[in-house]
Amino acid sequence: MIHAIKVAQEERLFAGKSVSVAVITRGRPPGYLRVAFSAVAGLLRGLWLTLGYFWSPEAIVTRQYPENRATLQLTERFRGNLRFKFPNEKAQEDHAAFIEQLAHETQTHAHVAADLVREENETRWYHNCTGCGKCQEACPNASIKVFTRQGEILEDREVDRFVWRLDSCMFCNACVQACPWDAIEMTGGFENAVYDRRLLVYNLNRLAGPRINYIEEEENPEVRKRMVERRDRYGGQVPLNGFALPNLPPVPMPADSDSRAVDTDAQARLT
Amino acid sequence: MQFVHTIAAAAATNSTWAPQTLAQRAADSAPHSLWLTAGYFLLAVVGVAALLSFLGMALIYIERKIAAHFQCRLGPTRVGPFGLFQTLADTLKLVFKEDFVPPKADRSLHMLAPFLALLVPVVLLALIPYSPNVQVADLNIGILFITAIGGFGVMGILIAGWSSNNKWSMIGAMRAGAQIISYELSATLALLVVVLFSGTMSLTGIVLSQQDGWWIWRGHAAGFVAFLIYVVASTAELNRTPFDIPEGESELTAGFHTEYSGLRFAFFFLAEFINMFTVSALTATLFLGGWMPFHVGDWAGFNAAMDTIPPGIWFLTKTSMVIFVIMWFRWTFPRLRVDQLMHLEWKVLLPLGFANLFVAAVVVLTELYPYPLAK
Repeated sequence: MIHAIKVAQEERLFAGKSVSVAVITRGRPPGYLRVAFSAVAGLLRGLWLTLGYFWSPEAIVTRQYPENRATLQLTERFRGNLRFKFPNEKAQEDHAAFIEQLAHETQTHAHVAADLVREENETRWYHNCTGCGKCQEACPNASIKVFTRQGEILEDREVDRFVWRLDSCMFCNACVQACPWDAIEMTGGFENAVYDRRLLVYNLNRLAGPRINYIEEEENPEVRKRMVERRDRYGGQVPLNGFALPNLPPVPMPADSDSRAVDTDAQARLT
Repeated sequence: MQFVHTIAAAAATNSTWAPQTLAQRAADSAPHSLWLTAGYFLLAVVGVAALLSFLGMALIYIERKIAAHFQCRLGPTRVGPFGLFQTLADTLKLVFKEDFVPPKADRSLHMLAPFLALLVPVVLLALIPYSPNVQVADLNIGILFITAIGGFGVMGILIAGWSSNNKWSMIGAMRAGAQIISYELSATLALLVVVLFSGTMSLTGIVLSQQDGWWIWRGHAAGFVAFLIYVVASTAELNRTPFDIPEGESELTAGFHTEYSGLRFAFFFLAEFINMFTVSALTATLFLGGWMPFHVGDWAGFNAAMDTIPPGIWFLTKTSMVIFVIMWFRWTFPRLRVDQLMHLEWKVLLPLGFANLFVAAVVVLTELYPYPLAK
């Protein structure tokens, strides 16, 4: 119970000087009945509030997760898996349309059709990363390791493999905040269950190569092609690099890995 | 006392309500057929056991659903339609869990305590008049018996806390003991008001005395204040939030049942929920007319319409409403501190209860009722 408090401004003399001070006066403490009444009123207010929650179905915030997968809306600030931003949106859309058409023509599902595509349009994997390694420095858990290389065309540092360890990541978002190039985001998925934790260490970039604007400055498509090199999800100089561990059987690759090895399987499935 | 005779006369003249308990039937049939007597006895035992298990399941499900909706959630939805089988699944889980007894515990007492805790609500279930013809036994000292047995419930908790050989359990049990014994006083004072009004201690007698109006409003303010005191005090006796300091998850892990697991923990859990039902049923019986339909003065048509609803439904509706209010309290109010709890009982509820009893006595002696009994 808050006592009645009055605040007034007054001029008072301090060492011959007139100073403006705030004078706070406390009122009489409320009587027993008043306290009791306000306590009961508070309890009733609380009851009324919860009854409102109980009564109105729109107050329910629970989402039925596995059922609403198709329409699941995550909030803007949700921190999911770390992933690269792929700013070449037109190429992304073209690819999606192409896969859809292919699936339609071959009368298969889209993911089967996607497996069939051998000559991918690499331009949709252009990225913003320069391989500066700021994210690696910012990471408190050392979950990021950026391997860089000397580019052949631009003769400058560029990202080779961007390795992210989901198994030790705590989703603090520090890497995203540290990135000067807006290359990564924490808006990826959250369905990360795997049967082998080695699969939780993988490359985020699909192309080794310079930042997208350096590529787009180049007019010649042949040179553009030579500037970048394909990188897949599991592979390269990754610690515990996905599947190659001595004394342990190799890991079955998930279908969404970009390994070329799945192509034969996909074809077998089709026929 | 003139008043008591009036009620007895009113009960006698009404041919609609001729309550008959199972005990009465058994006693009546004893001279003719012992088998019938045994059958009534068996029916009572099976009925109470069935009610016990059904209530346990149903109340836990209802509590979870109500709690969820008070907290903007959905509650159990996965197991069975609307999550109806969730409690069944949880019970199965509890049955198959290890029955752990701490090595340094007082083993026999540790095993005994859950049964003692469950004993009280089971006995009380047999006394409640669910409907004119559905009641196991109607004692002429019903209220006294209920108060005595209700006080016995704390023994299970105290023994559980003592025998667990755990400081949390011990503190929780001691708190429970202090709390239940304190609030027993207020609850009893509130019950005495109804006894004063109705002039009988038998539960069926109390229900019959409310034929012309329930005691919550027929007894002027005294009935209503007694109702409020009884609801608050019995919530405290139930160890439910806002009076759940004996469990006090944030300070005592689980209070007196910290060291219990599996089925023995389930017994405490069940006892708590059955206690909630018995308290709600008693509140409905004493203050809200029990199975008596809702009647308004001289409105014959309205009263006849109300009479078409079976008394069992009336009882169930009233009891569920009280249960809902108790659950509503639990999911709205924060927990009291120990000193606040004692303050509320000894400095607020108890003086209020005594004053209320005095007012009720004056009302009864002067027969100052808002409207008299139907002659």
